[in-house]
Amino acid sequence: MTILLQQLVLGVLIGGLYGLAAAGLSLIFGVMKVLNVAHGELIMLGGYGAFWLFALGGVDPFLALVLVIPAALVGGAILYWGLFGWVVRYHEETRVKNSLLIGFGLGLALHALAVQLWTADERSVTTAYGGNVLSVAGISIPVVRLLSLVVAFALIGGLHLLLARWRWGRAIRATADDWEAALMTGIDVRRAYLLAFALGTGLAGAAGTLVSVGYSVSPSIGLEWTLKALIVVVLAGLGSMLGTFVGGLVLGVAEACSAMAFGGPYREVVGLVIFFIVLVARPQGIFAK
Amino acid sequence: MLHVDRVEASYGPFLALAGATLEVGRGEIVALLGPNGAGKTTLIRCVAGLLRPRAGEIRWDGASLGGVAAHQIVERGIAVVPEGRRLFTTMTIEEHLELGAFAPHAHADKAARRDEVYTVFPVLRERRRQLVRALSGGQQQMVAIGRALMAAPRLLILDEPSLGLAPRVVDAILGVLGDINRRGVSILLVEQNVHAALALAHRGYILESGRVVGSGTGAGLMDDPHVKRAYLGPLA
Amino acid sequence: MSARVLGPAVVIVAGLALVPWFVRRDDVLNFLFLVLLFITLAQSWNVIAGYAGQVNLGHAAFFGLGALVTRTLWIAGTPVLLGMLAGAAVAVGFALIIGWAAFRLRGAYFAIGTLALAEICRITVGNVLAEISTLPQTTIAAYRLAHRYWLALALAALSVMAVALLAGSRLGLGMQAVREDEDAAAATGVGALRLKLIALVLSTALAGLAGGAFAYYHISFYPSHLFSPQWTFDAVLMTFIGGVGTLYGPILGAIFYVFFKEYLAIRWVDFHLLIFGALFVAIVLLLPGGLVEGMRKLRGLAEAAALIPDRRRPRPEHR
Repeated sequence: MTILLQQLVLGVLIGGLYGLAAAGLSLIFGVMKVLNVAHGELIMLGGYGAFWLFALGGVDPFLALVLVIPAALVGGAILYWGLFGWVVRYHEETRVKNSLLIGFGLGLALHALAVQLWTADERSVTTAYGGNVLSVAGISIPVVRLLSLVVAFALIGGLHLLLARWRWGRAIRATADDWEAALMTGIDVRRAYLLAFALGTGLAGAAGTLVSVGYSVSPSIGLEWTLKALIVVVLAGLGSMLGTFVGGLVLGVAEACSAMAFGGPYREVVGLVIFFIVLVARPQGIFAK
Repeated sequence: MLHVDRVEASYGPFLALAGATLEVGRGEIVALLGPNGAGKTTLIRCVAGLLRPRAGEIRWDGASLGGVAAHQIVERGIAVVPEGRRLFTTMTIEEHLELGAFAPHAHADKAARRDEVYTVFPVLRERRRQLVRALSGGQQQMVAIGRALMAAPRLLILDEPSLGLAPRVVDAILGVLGDINRRGVSILLVEQNVHAALALAHRGYILESGRVVGSGTGAGLMDDPHVKRAYLGPLA
Repeated sequence: MSARVLGPAVVIVAGLALVPWFVRRDDVLNFLFLVLLFITLAQSWNVIAGYAGQVNLGHAAFFGLGALVTRTLWIAGTPVLLGMLAGAAVAVGFALIIGWAAFRLRGAYFAIGTLALAEICRITVGNVLAEISTLPQTTIAAYRLAHRYWLALALAALSVMAVALLAGSRLGLGMQAVREDEDAAAATGVGALRLKLIALVLSTALAGLAGGAFAYYHISFYPSHLFSPQWTFDAVLMTFIGGVGTLYGPILGAIFYVFFKEYLAIRWVDFHLLIFGALFVAIVLLLPGGLVEGMRKLRGLAEAAALIPDRRRPRPEHR
């Protein structure tokens, strides 16, 4: 019983990161119908950013967020201007397909670049308190992972508030709903796209930072995390950041259950199977309106 | 104020507007009538900046609107209430009105304007925290008009506001349009309900197959035999 | 395929067939083998993506199934060609099973759905067959690289011919209609689902055969590596860079790709992916027709500048 609970807790802890990773992808896709399958590589880059800030500058990874997130926001803006911004001139179906292709090429290039720069080795940020564990009712909760969950939740909550209260946040939501109506309301839709893309990338950078401290980063985590994000987006549907977060938790728990039922190596498979089934049965997700 | 001058527009190979010309002057209500597929919505999309005409010119306040982005056209004083209302499904009435004033020039007196909208449409004030999804067709139409009014337009364009609404509601809305016009806003009204539109409008145009085939005063068009035969039916 | 091209094509294939008698160097034969294998793999992807317009990111699954089945049967004593046919059949069978589900997905959803499926295969195979697969000593002793080479050559020729026949046929034109606009095609009664399934069968059969050839060629590997998404990505890169939806695109792309991969690998591993990834993005944005389109444009420029005779204008003596 304790083992079960332990696994579930660990599943929830990583589920929060899945949710954060998915939130960025969901925001971008929901607003501009761009499917950036290099999202996982952006997470990977965020992770490396945190790692090197720690390894070279001794910056605590949770503090590093203050540096990584703005850098990721700017990076996202650059990616939009340089690449994905060109895709928005097409209508929706072509847009999705082309952005998928561009993301594909970008992902490969970023992966190869990371291998060149930093080798294929796994890296992890090991802080002084990294090994600390909270013991609650016989269950061990690694402190850094718990902190990561809290931070992830805070970021998602922050994003939710931003979208609800900030003038441009509402503009982003309006654009996601009906971009022509948004234009007719006086909203510069291109600017909304840019902001959404930058925000989504910022979230990816944050997710990467949290992954580097509780888990590990290597150039090849990109594909893995892109798939996780996609699974959660398909599970939770578009539109609600909080719903996406919950979807991430659900995935984390589902993986934990699957690992216990079928053995550790099949942990990844359950998510992919759920993904495929939901995709075929209901492409708009389970929680969608 | 608004001059549409021999505008041609197409969707791919299909020519929707084949040289349309019309004008809306200061303080006027102008009706744009015609059968389905005549190009009325296309013309509105051109004025709104959503569709680039392939020939002709659209002038507003003397300046050409060619190449001006849609959101900037709002900034210049033209607001559109689109066909089918096109509200933001995840938002409340309040949020719609808030967004309506998104354009920079509309920030000033935003609160006063909102109060005006609530005065004109009292039911919106009562339900202002509700999601627009939960509203009736008539109420949604009010939200759409309110959203456009928040942009402090000098020209308000409405595309088929009566579509799908009960006659009583239509009367109420068209009455409101009269009020709005008396406050100084010019109106370009595309309408299927020809009788009601011509009763309200100072002038009107008839658009058929992408061309303006007739124009005149509201009353004049109502008496026009062609209009009577084609649009007003046997009871006219 | 026009008669004009058939002649030179036969000559090229015949010439390539004679290579092992003149060239004894293993590295050259290995290089050529890879090029030919990749031509088959790229053409197989081209069928479903270029002609039927469905971006399939799970292609590795069919390659892997073909390879796995071929390898298993061949080591157990079955003649390799039979094993390959069985491998292709299994790949096609799997495709048909998931095909009816997968094809309910459109565009990008099909792409990520197939990617997920391929990953499921890879992880499952990696767990079930975790040990490395090696050829028995006797087989290694009897290994003739030339045989593998000829097999790859035959497959490449087969795949190019299949695509050529497909492109010109009613089937092929129907597929292109679906590719251009699925809704419009459905409206005119072109059985979109049926066409997509046929494209899927051809595509996966060729991929399965390519996998089988690889299983015959490579001495030892981990079974899960047969399902690595890199096989898919290689096929996608080659086809797009060469020119997706064209006959020569995958050929050009494969040659280009293998050449650069080997050339760049001398100094940096995987560096070719950085270049190709960037090149891929540039092509998607700027030159969707790939190298084939690029060459066509260059030829157009050269003709306009009267540097080479314009082949489309009739020659004086024919007037």
